[in-house]
Amino acid sequence: MSSSRKGGLIPAGLLGPGVIWLVLFFVVPMYFMGEMALRSGSLASGGFAFTWEWSNFSDALDGRGSQIIRTIYYSGAATLIALLIAYPLSYAIAFKISPRWRLIFLFAVIAPFFTTYLIRTIGWKTILSDSSPVVDFLKTIGVLPEDGRLLATPAAVIAGLTYNFLPFMILPIYASLEQLDGRLIEASKDLYASARTTFRKVTLPLTAPGIVAGVLLTFIPAFGDYVNAQLLGGTGQAMIGNKIQSLYLVERDYPEAAALSFMMMAAILITVLIYIRLAGTEAFMGAEDED
Amino acid sequence: MRAWEWLKRNALIIFACLAVAYMLIPIMVIAVFSFGDTPSGKLTFGLNDGFTLDYWRDAFSIDALNESLLTSLKLAALATLASTAIGTAMALALVRYQFRGRKAANLLIILPMASPEIVIGAALLSMFIVYSLPLGFTTLLIAHIMFSISFVVVVVRSRLIGFDRSLEEAARDLGAGPWTTFRKITLPLIMPGVAAAGLLAFALSIDDFVISNFNSGSTVTFPLYVYGVALRGIPVQVNVLATMLFMVTVVAIVAVLWQQRRAERMASVAPEPG
Amino acid sequence: MTRRALVAVALALGLSACGGIVGAGNAGNVETADNGQVEGELVISNWPGYVDPGKDNSLAQFTDRTGVEIEYIEDINSNTAFFGKVQPLLDQGESGDRSIMVVTDWMAKQMYDLGYLQEVEHKDLPTVFENIRPGIVSSELDPDRKFSIPWQSGMTGIWVDTEEAPDITSINDLFDPKYKGRVTMLDEMRDTVPLVMKADGVDPADATTEDWMAAVEKIQGAVDDGQIRRFTGNDYTEDITSGNSVASIGWSGDGYLISNDNAEWRMPDEGCMLWTDNMVIPVGAPNTPAALEYMNYVYEPEVQAPITAYINYVTPVDGVKEIFLKEGDKGLASDPLIFPDEEFTKDCTAQVNPPVESAEDITGAFEDVVSG
Repeated sequence: MSSSRKGGLIPAGLLGPGVIWLVLFFVVPMYFMGEMALRSGSLASGGFAFTWEWSNFSDALDGRGSQIIRTIYYSGAATLIALLIAYPLSYAIAFKISPRWRLIFLFAVIAPFFTTYLIRTIGWKTILSDSSPVVDFLKTIGVLPEDGRLLATPAAVIAGLTYNFLPFMILPIYASLEQLDGRLIEASKDLYASARTTFRKVTLPLTAPGIVAGVLLTFIPAFGDYVNAQLLGGTGQAMIGNKIQSLYLVERDYPEAAALSFMMMAAILITVLIYIRLAGTEAFMGAEDED
Repeated sequence: MRAWEWLKRNALIIFACLAVAYMLIPIMVIAVFSFGDTPSGKLTFGLNDGFTLDYWRDAFSIDALNESLLTSLKLAALATLASTAIGTAMALALVRYQFRGRKAANLLIILPMASPEIVIGAALLSMFIVYSLPLGFTTLLIAHIMFSISFVVVVVRSRLIGFDRSLEEAARDLGAGPWTTFRKITLPLIMPGVAAAGLLAFALSIDDFVISNFNSGSTVTFPLYVYGVALRGIPVQVNVLATMLFMVTVVAIVAVLWQQRRAERMASVAPEPG
Repeated sequence: MTRRALVAVALALGLSACGGIVGAGNAGNVETADNGQVEGELVISNWPGYVDPGKDNSLAQFTDRTGVEIEYIEDINSNTAFFGKVQPLLDQGESGDRSIMVVTDWMAKQMYDLGYLQEVEHKDLPTVFENIRPGIVSSELDPDRKFSIPWQSGMTGIWVDTEEAPDITSINDLFDPKYKGRVTMLDEMRDTVPLVMKADGVDPADATTEDWMAAVEKIQGAVDDGQIRRFTGNDYTEDITSGNSVASIGWSGDGYLISNDNAEWRMPDEGCMLWTDNMVIPVGAPNTPAALEYMNYVYEPEVQAPITAYINYVTPVDGVKEIFLKEGDKGLASDPLIFPDEEFTKDCTAQVNPPVESAEDITGAFEDVVSG
């Protein structure tokens, strides 16, 4: 571990701009969102006044239970599938692919980022549309019934979520695999452990921080997503993010929207805090526990 | 059966190749559709349009589209510069120094990464509304810098942790001050990490839709333009430009890799001094 | 960066914001657009695909004639989204440089009631009121045409794939289980809900809160059964093209966006919805003389003709049909979707707002159906 030292003003100076920026433009807005959640009124009738309107919170959840559960289901499924794809893929890139090709594979992983979220998702919409060869093929081999479809189904939304957040799962897992000390694996083999045992008892535990980071970085954004549901889903597949977006940008019911967002944020914050309590903040960022 | 044996041994690699192909499928689709011959000039997803190079020839003929792409590039460039600088500084502080409030700082950095974009975007909007701040390029820039900082910190940090301090110590032994050491030794050595972080920040900014949707006012970024026209017919030029953007990135990265390999090869070929 | 400092900052910010009313609007202070020297730059916000294209189009020719440079921004894709975007500006009396915006009549009325629009005087718009179609010289929401000048009108009906669903002629047919999961509706409440009401014999113009809610519930029921595939914006055209949908509630002028030879726009048995998109001048608009001049300009039949020919919606200007006939373009001149006659639209209703006292609840209920 590199030596660190007390530097008096220097760390403050280095951290300063970032901390100020994040406080001003992340923490403070969260405060304002909470404050907006306690307002009432509407744009059409004279604006929003601060009235300690706690009912906004219960209104926001009213009747939305199934939508919330649906959202957990979709983002959970997407996270699980992403994990099942990302881990073997990262393992392959880290250990099985020659260094020459490694960068190319890694690039291929983040390449989709450079074609805009929307366009990628619209691309999937085309691929999965009712008249596409993909759907025809699936009908021919019987996976889809004759009157079935791929779009406007939970499957399409989950597939979209998985695809769009896969890089967030891959990168932390890859990072933790890459930092794995090869000698530990060798030692395990020297002690006559099978490949599977080595994986189970050495590799997997050591890359656990990467897995958890990947899971959090995938599940949470997926949970709040609305674009996939809007483009690939139909009625009955709307996620809670769709509702928030509708409240903000269509109904312009800012107080209820803020209340719903605030509760979502609170739920996430609790999850992250629990994790940090268990594993320490350093572990989340991929290094050994320094606390 | 030998084929089966080969399959088993290379299963992971095959899987990796399939996974990568999967990641690139939509890009292929986008590229293919950029050659579609549609009478209205809009994408019709008809899958049986003819083939034409017209839209490649007229790729820059839609002013609004070009402007939105330029806006996005400008925004991304500025956001990348700022967030990379700020984030690298934070990473240095976190790795190299001890101080109180480390846990709080870490939490502050983790939270934006872990927040859904809709919450960040909506919260910023709430603040801008209360202060009656006009939404536009500036508010977008603020938001983009904000959400990139955390990612930059994480990437640079992981680079810094495995960093060999002996070179820096050597420089200090030779009398170099901390700033000179940083400039001439540290920075060049962590540059790959900083560059990777910058690339990630750039990608995140270009790609951003949700936060921008909430905070852009009348400024139109490329994703916002696409969202707008997606409702009313996407001009084929959108696919053309998206494919171009992708290709430019590929070329840039290939160039960097090629340059790196040349440097390595020259380093190994050059005769030892003395 | 101590904790105490953070708390202090938060308190300070909080105190400054608490208690203040946000988003109040400034109704009651209506300005009138000034006329004057026509020069400078004109910024117009409009919907995409709503003006003839090309380097030598009507916009370019306006510049040739008057020397006024036009910045034409196609940033309106939905009334509500656009409103959300410009509302904070308008609230401050700013328009973000825009001098003209094109919004649907109900949105124009809403903006006007909030004090976000300037009024126009008929004396400044001679060409407009000389050539405006008698049918829309007055409207329910703006009887004296004080703040909204029609840009184009259109009809909301049903786009049908005649091969897959030849028998769909009424909105109620969209509820036919035969087509479960293959129909779409618009997410525009003022199109979809009144159409459903009309199909059940209710006249939207006299509809009560109960009528609106009943229609919303009927739609909700269809959603729960999986009857309705999704709610769309203008992107229903993709669904019809790609076969995702066999019947979609949609707008009459979108033919060129649909690449499906079997698709046709049908007037529902019970009639369609009529809507008009209007040019409005926002508060804080720079260059209102040029805006007024532009409005006059587009009401000249010769200028309007290429616009109509391209966008295929219902023109507000009298005399365009004659121009098409003179040029020998019988196709356009006899297209009922561009020049609908009284007979064609006899059962159609102009778009209305839901009852004021329950508008929020109805909107909320509909949005729950759409995004729930």
